[in-house]
Amino acid sequence: MSDLDQDPAIGIDLGTTNTVVAAVVDGVPRVIANRQGQLLTPSVVAVAKNGKRLVGQMAKRQAITNAENTIFAAKRLIGRRWGSREVEDARRVLPYELMAGPEGNDVRVKMGAKTWAVSEISALVIAELKADAEAFLGREVSRAVLTVPAYFNDGQRQATRDAGRIAGLDVLRIINEPTSAALAYGFGKDVEKQVVVFDLGGGTFDISILDIGKSVYDVVGVGGDTYLGGEDFDRRVMDWVTFSFAKEHAGIDLRQDKMALQRLRDAAEKAKCDLSGVPAVSIHLPFLIGGGDGRPALHLEKQLTREKLEELTGDLVERCIQVTTRTLRDAGVRPSQIGEVILVGGMTRMPRVQQAVRDFFGRDPSRAVHPEEVVALGAAIQAHALAHPKASMEVLLLDVTPQNLGILVVGGYFQTIIPRNTSVPTSATHIFTTSQDDQTSVRIAVMQGESEKAVENELLGEFVLDGIRPARRGEVEIEVNFDISADGIVSVSAKDMVTGQRQSITVTATSGLTEDELRRIMEENLDELLERKQAGSDFEKHRGSVLKVIEDIEALVPSVTSALARSRFGKDAVAKAEATVQRARLAIDARDGAQLLALEEQLERALQLFRGLVAGGPKEKGP
Amino acid sequence: MTPAELIERGIRAYTRGEVGEAERLWRDVLAMDPDNTRARSFLELLGGWLVAAKAMPVPLPAPSGSFQPAPVAVGPTSVPLPSPDSSWLSSPTTISLGAHPDAALRDISAPPQPAGASSHEGPSGDVATPSSAGTRAKGGQGSQASSMSAEDRPSAPGLGDYAPSPWDLGPARTPAIVLSEGPGLDLVSVAEQSGVRTLVPDTGGSPEAAAKPCSEIEIWMQGARELFALGDFSGSLAMIEKILKVEPMHGEAREYLQQNEATLIAMYESKLGSIGLIPRLALKPEEILWLNLDHRAGFLLAQIDGVVSYEDLFALSGLPRLDTARILASLLEEGVVTS
Repeated sequence: MSDLDQDPAIGIDLGTTNTVVAAVVDGVPRVIANRQGQLLTPSVVAVAKNGKRLVGQMAKRQAITNAENTIFAAKRLIGRRWGSREVEDARRVLPYELMAGPEGNDVRVKMGAKTWAVSEISALVIAELKADAEAFLGREVSRAVLTVPAYFNDGQRQATRDAGRIAGLDVLRIINEPTSAALAYGFGKDVEKQVVVFDLGGGTFDISILDIGKSVYDVVGVGGDTYLGGEDFDRRVMDWVTFSFAKEHAGIDLRQDKMALQRLRDAAEKAKCDLSGVPAVSIHLPFLIGGGDGRPALHLEKQLTREKLEELTGDLVERCIQVTTRTLRDAGVRPSQIGEVILVGGMTRMPRVQQAVRDFFGRDPSRAVHPEEVVALGAAIQAHALAHPKASMEVLLLDVTPQNLGILVVGGYFQTIIPRNTSVPTSATHIFTTSQDDQTSVRIAVMQGESEKAVENELLGEFVLDGIRPARRGEVEIEVNFDISADGIVSVSAKDMVTGQRQSITVTATSGLTEDELRRIMEENLDELLERKQAGSDFEKHRGSVLKVIEDIEALVPSVTSALARSRFGKDAVAKAEATVQRARLAIDARDGAQLLALEEQLERALQLFRGLVAGGPKEKGP
Repeated sequence: MTPAELIERGIRAYTRGEVGEAERLWRDVLAMDPDNTRARSFLELLGGWLVAAKAMPVPLPAPSGSFQPAPVAVGPTSVPLPSPDSSWLSSPTTISLGAHPDAALRDISAPPQPAGASSHEGPSGDVATPSSAGTRAKGGQGSQASSMSAEDRPSAPGLGDYAPSPWDLGPARTPAIVLSEGPGLDLVSVAEQSGVRTLVPDTGGSPEAAAKPCSEIEIWMQGARELFALGDFSGSLAMIEKILKVEPMHGEAREYLQQNEATLIAMYESKLGSIGLIPRLALKPEEILWLNLDHRAGFLLAQIDGVVSYEDLFALSGLPRLDTARILASLLEEGVVTS
């Protein structure tokens, strides 16, 4: 039985700037192109000025001209708490409006006339890729594995899971991006080494160290910079072009014109990508901006060399290396101990970046995997393994806790109980004492984060253990136990060692969406999905019948032509029918259901006419 | 050229601000067709001068091609004075003459003239005095004979031939104002019955709206209606946009705006064919440089990649749908794109 005969499961790399979908087809993981034929779909969603909802490339192409209604980089916000440092940072740089959720603790975005949960925005992108996969596989897809950065906390993971659910997917597992990359790298190989995943994407830079051994993938260290990526490189090119243009054209600032800026950004990104393959490119933008005072529009023509690009972005590459150095040092690993460097993200195709990696690690990075596809391929492998356990070879993924887990202690400090990078499932126990005489209860605040100060970490949940035996402070021992399941569910319990009094909590990560809200959104989406399906099936129905009529008409053309040759009338009947056929074919290509419907009737009439001509023959003989 | 064409050209000239040319064209129409009500209505709107022409032979077009002033007109740039019975006079606000920004000033500089008095002054007679400048403003009447041709004027008028001067129209000849009973002066009643209006508009509108005489808006509105009726939706739209700049809440203008836009969008989209079609560049990139495009067309052209449809372009452009449709139809018509 082939994979396509089974219920397919897909892997989705939900990136900050681009998203990729992959599936295992006939035992081979492969990336699925979107319906525009591209492997990468921009993680951008918009409501255009004409009210149309846009996802992917189309949304990206109007991101500057319609900035306030175009949502990008939702990944920076997903699962974040309103008022957190990360959200405040994002608010400073994002052009669209952010607001607090109804409970005041999660983030919502305004797009068009509606306020959206961030998970809903991500769900629009996921749904688009789901549809692409269904078009490719020729059947419905209902299961998926999604990837997230290794540093994502439980709330962020849950929000990503919710996004998948809203998109109509059963999320089999959320896995770390570096783990996924390593999985694709190790697919079909017997690998036992320590690898580094160097992931320089569009918006973020992540560096991860993994131990791979006998199909076990263990993340032993993560680091990165959440505001360093390909877009920073694009901006350097844009600035350079803008200043050159202003110098040549009496100070005309391209950044003041949204249309010009949009074209410039697209061109800068393309030039940067092209320079990975060629030493120089030409940036050619005719009629870019009005000349002012009624003068003709101005053109932009600029040569950019690879050397110049490297000069413009040298410090950004250097920042990547600094972060890598710090991460390896934290993990206690020397560059020479690394057995392989896996490059991930489009920016790692830049020769200067590859050179920097080579210089730092003293070895060539792996060429076995495609940087932009590798994470999605790994997710597809994992999805296939989980969906078809019997058909797949066993792959054991050991994910780690992304951040320290612990509790609040006296003085407002944070006591770590499970350190970050601990493989899950895991459990740990720690003994605490009371801080006051005759204290009969303690508050256990479960937290996650990297800071020693509790206030700077994230509160996951809390409970009170009471019924403690009254005693002098420090005499009562309370055992606090943390347990994390393979699914990332954290259970915390506290027990009075003498009385045996016990209290516990299970921390279920929340994305900020309540279950009711989630259900309502899913129901709305289901209605929309059904409408789209209905429209799609209507189109397919008309397409089928129109193609049949076209086939019949074309079959009759020779007979009709011959019949008309003997007649004075209807000389243009064939040409007219052919023109209608041509228009119908264009409507099919454009998936224009309304046009197809209108043409269907005309084609039917043409067919009737042709049949009549062939059956009856010309009644009148020309002179 | 037919009267209809001349009227249309006149409207276009007016749209461009060439008021003299518009007048000449509309007068040409009256020369061809003295009963042409449309030309007459436009000229009336332009200043009411034509009302006087009802009683005289249709004036011939001026040889210079510009409007010829009546002989009594004063000042370096002569402007015809309105007849006393024209609606122009009954207007509570001063009328300006289209594109002439100082037309109102010139109007009030004209002296009160008795009927036929102009014949004594001759074509170049400058009889205006500073003291007479405010007379019409006060009295609200002008010279009946101001726009008469020299041939129609009596050569030696007697006192009885003169129209009563506004100076002679004392309070005794003004209809009595009946005040409503009750305490205080009923200013509304006074205003309604006397035709007196407050100096400062109390409509609460913008200063621009207050400053812009309402008749000018009416001229534009009339032009917009005419152009719409002629099928020139772009011209009509241009006029409507002018009106809405001055009076954003003008009800009829807003209705015309919608009608014009919807019609134009439909027209341009029909040129595109199905909006689901995918346009393609019909020229090589180096050939595009030789075109005469603006940056908006350049932007749209840059989006055409053989994948996006017309519908997509409407979403991508960020421009109003009408502008996008207009540019795309133009690109298609000029053979820059094909679908």
